[in-house]
Amino acid sequence: MSLIDSARETSLEDVALWDVGKRLGFYGSILAMVSISMFPVFWILLSSLKPPSELFVFPQEFLPYTIAIQDGQPTLVQQFPLTLENYRTALQERPVGRYLINSAIVASATAFIDVVLGAMAGYALSRLRFPYKLQVLLIILFAVLLPFVSRLIPLYKLAIDLQGTAFGPFFGLNQYLGLILPYAAFQMPFAVWIFQAYFNELPASLEEAGLMDGLSRVGVLFRIILPVSMPAMATTAIIVFIYAWNEFLFALTFMTEDSKRTITVGIALFGGQFNSPWGTITAAVFMSLVPLMVFMLVFQKKIVEGMTAGVGKA
Amino acid sequence: MADSTTGEQNMTRLGEEGVRGRLERYRELRITEEELAVALLTPVMLFLLAVSFYPIVDTVWASLHTGYVIQLPTKPTEFVGIENYQRLFSDGSFWNALGVSLFYTFVSVPIELVFGLGLALLLKADFKGKYFAQAAILFPWALPTVINAKIWAWLLNPNYGVISDILVRVGILSAPYPFLSKPDAALYAMTSITIWKTTSFMALIMLAGLSSIPDHLYESARMDGASRWRQFRDITLPLLKPTILVALIFRTLPAFQAFGLPYGLTGGGPGEATTTLVLYTQQAAYNNPGPTNGGFALGSAAATVITMIALVIALIYVATLYEPEVR
Repeated sequence: MSLIDSARETSLEDVALWDVGKRLGFYGSILAMVSISMFPVFWILLSSLKPPSELFVFPQEFLPYTIAIQDGQPTLVQQFPLTLENYRTALQERPVGRYLINSAIVASATAFIDVVLGAMAGYALSRLRFPYKLQVLLIILFAVLLPFVSRLIPLYKLAIDLQGTAFGPFFGLNQYLGLILPYAAFQMPFAVWIFQAYFNELPASLEEAGLMDGLSRVGVLFRIILPVSMPAMATTAIIVFIYAWNEFLFALTFMTEDSKRTITVGIALFGGQFNSPWGTITAAVFMSLVPLMVFMLVFQKKIVEGMTAGVGKA
Repeated sequence: MADSTTGEQNMTRLGEEGVRGRLERYRELRITEEELAVALLTPVMLFLLAVSFYPIVDTVWASLHTGYVIQLPTKPTEFVGIENYQRLFSDGSFWNALGVSLFYTFVSVPIELVFGLGLALLLKADFKGKYFAQAAILFPWALPTVINAKIWAWLLNPNYGVISDILVRVGILSAPYPFLSKPDAALYAMTSITIWKTTSFMALIMLAGLSSIPDHLYESARMDGASRWRQFRDITLPLLKPTILVALIFRTLPAFQAFGLPYGLTGGGPGEATTTLVLYTQQAAYNNPGPTNGGFALGSAAATVITMIALVIALIYVATLYEPEVR
């Protein structure tokens, strides 16, 4: 065996060994991160399925079944019975379904407004020439920096004043629009930014072709630009939807009627401060997490792509 | 930014006068760019004026007046100058809340940034099951803050909490520890929970930033024999600066406005150990809405102070990290 051959052999072995180690380390880290991220959800699910007698013990059981060797055979041994009792209580005691529907209405409408208005403004700021363009963009982005709480009290006062007037349904207490309009405004700069960044990446030839084919500028916008901006629309819709679904301070302040509460407020107000019915709370929490988990599984690629377009090119 | 001009330059370069003329004619016939821009931007500007800028001005205005009376909305309030601010600044609870918010913000955000960057470097690779792993790792970000608070309140329950359970099993604790009933421990717990939740958001932004760095830079660095660490220090970090700026602003401002987490986790307690500035403001505004004393006036003053601090923080970040020539 020549010197070169043997050298090549050892280095290949080393590389293989190093590769295996690296791979183990890599998958180990990923597994650790996934576990750290998802353990609380697992624990909530497990707690929600436990009977009360199992919930308030220490130490707690980690699995409903264990495997024991009995008569030389591996057998499943039940540690505690699983029950849906907590779910029944949660649904009977509080309108969890109603809360979820309220959240869905508010979040969808907010996402819709931000997609439409954000696309319009983003298009103007990216593709049109007009005076004071930079100033307009800076004003819109500046709104991001303003704390939500400094907008809470005036809007609350406004809602009280408009209660019972013709504007009540638009901005009174316990009106969906009373949450939708502020949420849409708070996320608007973000929507405009995503669309502006996205439109900046589109080739100018796209519009020229449309104009030469006899479309008006408005026609170009609706027939050409909007159809190709689906990715930006999806990203904006998803991120705004998650924001509106999660918001708490405004929802707590503006929705005083139980039937109008969103899921975050509904769950925050479950149970008293000192005597918490943890079985039903964990059941309600888990029900609120299911739509989110489905949402994340379906849309996470879009979220990552959208961030790439919006933030990466900032 | 200058795409429409580039388009025209292209056409002039083509030298097709006819095309240019036709384009101009269409513009004349239909609507000018300026008119279209005004039409497209008006709704957004009106929205921001009504729901973002007017309320800020009104908050400052209200902070200089006596309290607003809900039962008598028509009753005029009285100008009192800086009286509300004097009351605010002489309130020990306000300074405590400021300290809690500053600790919470400036401990959690840097840790999240470092963890998030590490996580992003991990998630950048292609691997089997990436889709599920990414969805699972990003899940905490999508979790509503107040529901997150409820989850951790159960996990950290003083008597039956699973965190105590695990720590007892591995031998770190000998008995369940009431994390949320000891002032210091409660603040650390709240900060840790936020790090748990938002590291995934940081990772998301960092992932976006990383993917905008062209691969050929790494390739040529590798050919020059640069180590992984050199590549990270000399390519990744400098090119990631704009992303880091965005991430810091995106995280610091919300962290400074934390409300749902202390509300759902501890209610601000024990005592005032986890009462953040916004929780203080909300309590000042809604828990003592007397006609002349405190209430919305005191809340408005606190909200104005929060706005000022938030703007200063944003300004400091932009001044120290912004480099216009990077891109």
